[in-house]
Amino acid sequence: MTERFTGHGSEWRDANLTPGEAKIATSWVELKVDKRSMLTNKDRVEDVRDIMWQLEKDGEIVVHRVAEEHEPLMVKTLYGWDKKIPTTRLWHHKSCGQCGNIPGYPASLLWLMNRMDIEYLDETDQTSCTAWNYHGSGIGNLESLAAVFLRNFHQAYVAAQAQGLPAGYYFPLVHCGTSFGNYKEVRSYLLHSAKLRERVRAILGKLGRLVDGKLLIPEEVVHYSEWLHVMRERIASMREIDCSGIRATIHPACHVYKMVPEDAIYDDGIMGGNRLANSTGLMQSLGAQVIDYSTWYDCCGFGFRHIISEREFTRSFAIDRKIRVAVEEAHADVMIGHDTGCITTLDKNQWIGKAAGKPVELAVLADCQFAALVCGAHPYKIVQSHWHASPTETLMEKLGIDWQAKKAEFVAYLEEIKSGKPENLYDPRRMVTSGPGFIPLKSLR
Amino acid sequence: MSHAAEGTRVQKHIGDPVGGEPALPRAKLEEIFADIQSDLRFDHELNGCLNCGICTATCPAAHYYDFSPREIVQLLWTENLEGIYDAMQEKIWACAQCYTCAARCPFGNSPGGLIMLMRETAIKHQMKSAKDVLRPFSRVMLKLISTGNQLSPDMINKDHFADWGPNISKVEAPLKLLRKAIPMPTLNTTATAWEVNLKTSIELYTIWEMTGVLQQLEGIDENLFDVITDIMDEKREDWKDFLADEQNEQEADT
Repeated sequence: MTERFTGHGSEWRDANLTPGEAKIATSWVELKVDKRSMLTNKDRVEDVRDIMWQLEKDGEIVVHRVAEEHEPLMVKTLYGWDKKIPTTRLWHHKSCGQCGNIPGYPASLLWLMNRMDIEYLDETDQTSCTAWNYHGSGIGNLESLAAVFLRNFHQAYVAAQAQGLPAGYYFPLVHCGTSFGNYKEVRSYLLHSAKLRERVRAILGKLGRLVDGKLLIPEEVVHYSEWLHVMRERIASMREIDCSGIRATIHPACHVYKMVPEDAIYDDGIMGGNRLANSTGLMQSLGAQVIDYSTWYDCCGFGFRHIISEREFTRSFAIDRKIRVAVEEAHADVMIGHDTGCITTLDKNQWIGKAAGKPVELAVLADCQFAALVCGAHPYKIVQSHWHASPTETLMEKLGIDWQAKKAEFVAYLEEIKSGKPENLYDPRRMVTSGPGFIPLKSLR
Repeated sequence: MSHAAEGTRVQKHIGDPVGGEPALPRAKLEEIFADIQSDLRFDHELNGCLNCGICTATCPAAHYYDFSPREIVQLLWTENLEGIYDAMQEKIWACAQCYTCAARCPFGNSPGGLIMLMRETAIKHQMKSAKDVLRPFSRVMLKLISTGNQLSPDMINKDHFADWGPNISKVEAPLKLLRKAIPMPTLNTTATAWEVNLKTSIELYTIWEMTGVLQQLEGIDENLFDVITDIMDEKREDWKDFLADEQNEQEADT
């Protein structure tokens, strides 16, 4: 008898279920697994914001508030708690992967904001959260992650002063899902640990980044997809292209809702409250059909380290567990995501499938790119779809967009900017707020 | 050959948990475990384990590797020092860091979070596994530590990502021109994902130094450490020059 190394012990036997029995068993599991209750039946749940307010009361920290001026809208999170989402005066905390690899991602977001007269700042005084490297390599530690978090968020707090405006004017809006998850986790540890606060206070003090000698903690850590979520009806009102014929699958990002899950947004009116509301709510408001699929819960295969050095895992997982399921089971026209690594992984790893006899293809876009596209943004100048390896052209054809004509316009535009100035979404003089290249406010006026 | 002479299947594949020479002296194994356990996150990430296996059932890496988050939690929970050391040689690097395990665990454990404590400790102890595994990651580390950005447009090319196919960009044009055509001026860059203020980089270097990250790097890859510290020195000189110029201008104005 051939020995099998099943890991279950010698007493284990195959169940040999009939297809009917297997379906019943699977349905039972899916009934349980597909529910929000899988995430909520925990004993130890706390709202770290309670600790935050107490620490501020005790004079330990200063809280950067989501103020009335930020025109916040309220949402409910996993346990029904309130979360304040600022809607204007936003400081864009960019994502290295989006900016380096999928630049139409942030450009589409800023384009939508321009259409809605949202005030924002996109500046050069910020670093990556450094968490991609940390999760991939183990280089870094809790202190370094905390110090980077507090440095970037302090800069968001003071940035407006370069424009003669008060501190706290802008509130940070985090673009990357990993930054979002990492910052929330780090904020929690900072609030719990006096020792960690003491260590990073020394660092932030040396950098001149304390407020009245105290650490500055944000009242909320806010992801851009949460901003899109609360603005979804306003965005939908700008829609120019009918997308009711589009079958969309959503890939919810692990670091957006599995890290610090209690802070993720759920809405009973969106997929029965059993799925993360971000992106799904937006797509439904835009009028697209959101199609559920059995592997919605799986990660994309990015793996942080794997996308660099274990790509066989990344591409196998992306194809077998996500793209192929979305195509064959959901008959999707597009997969929509809301995080950097997921979009990269799902978009770039389809071509190689042909070599492995798995020729599945599906357009992959971020939620804000799809929204911008159907609101009339240029598919190349703004959505920058040429950086996507997946067949975005097929999706555009289904939306009735003449992508070949748009591409020709973009190629002509490239010729124009060889000698001239490119079109920008904001005044470039505002992007430097100190150091070399800084233009004081008087000169700006 | 008799079954007894071959040893049991467990001994063959996993090793004998009670006999034989340990891989490292007991004191060293204790030191490694103490480093993992002393992280303030340890007690938050590990609360108990009934071996239910929900973490492994939902783990993407467990589909493809000889890796089980349940096993990692059990090793730490039972303080199996040799098993912990053994897992640090390869298994901990299989984890995809998605935290599906953490979201699902009924005890509120975070196997993914525990893996990070073990990875940090593998680096601290300069384990060969960490050096081998991280060698292909050096480009990312160079970029991140010297510029504050982890990924840059010039890293995404057909040589480095041949399996991504011909569509790195569907418009044929020089990278610099394509980047100029992005309507966000901070992104008109090729060597960093966005333009990073010089002052920002200098502040980041202070963070690396004060949190021991440069020491970590030196222990894993001395050559990379040398390259990065050279870049840091150059940028610090640039910053000093800027401050001196600024002061001269102010003095001239007064």
